[in-house]
Amino acid sequence: FRFKDSLAEDLRSADLVISHAGAGSCLEALEKGKPLVVVINEKLMNNHQLELAKQLHRDGHVICCNCSTLVETLQSMDLTALKPFPPGQPEKFALFLDKVVGFQ
Amino acid sequence: TGGHTTEILRLLSCLSESYSPRHYVFADSDKMSEAKICSFEQKRAETFPNSQFTLDRIPRSREVRQSWTSSVVTTLYSMLYSLPLTYKLKPDLILCNGPGTCVPVCISALLLGLLGIKRTIIVYVESICRVETLSLSGKILYYFSDYFIVQWPDLKEKYPKSVFLGRIV
Repeated sequence: FRFKDSLAEDLRSADLVISHAGAGSCLEALEKGKPLVVVINEKLMNNHQLELAKQLHRDGHVICCNCSTLVETLQSMDLTALKPFPPGQPEKFALFLDKVVGFQ
Repeated sequence: TGGHTTEILRLLSCLSESYSPRHYVFADSDKMSEAKICSFEQKRAETFPNSQFTLDRIPRSREVRQSWTSSVVTTLYSMLYSLPLTYKLKPDLILCNGPGTCVPVCISALLLGLLGIKRTIIVYVESICRVETLSLSGKILYYFSDYFIVQWPDLKEKYPKSVFLGRIV
């Protein structure tokens, strides 16, 4: 398919997600608790999108590879080593903002 | 646009109903944000039936990777719209998270503040995608916002005046 409004359904039924390094794609998959392999496009090396993918990889939440190493990565990867990705905490932001604005 | 809208709606998700009415300002070229916002607000109205919000569009101030000089021109053009809009809305608080659209709106609010017309608190939350470097909007608004929030510790080190609350989206 080309574009869907939402990948939520597909993500729900997937056992493994292979994605580009876009933040939205990565975060959506991680939040649904799916093992994620991020494929980095070297031609976009100066794209800041890499920052998040690299950090997620450093923190052990995703497996990274590039287009040419994808096949061997899929064959040799250990998904059990991936660490779960805890959700963000907008409550902390709400508390902070309440103080800033004076609602207590 | 896209990711920015998703992030800002998450930031709004835990705010109390004191943050009302909510005025959403986004780029005229943005086709998807309106649907996301309406869906968020509809859900919110289930818990807070007297919820109020408005939608406003201004010209997009900068395309991805647009050059510096032409960006200044397009941002000034967007200000022709953002200035009267900000004057009309006179917000107490501006919450923004990085799309080019936020720069003309914030500059407008700053101008209105300098002219003694309305003092607005500007809170900027840098995107979760930004781990090591700030976006262009972030680099500008780091100096002009009242509170500048980053979501990764590297940025807190590099930009000491920022606030670090951890991941909030």
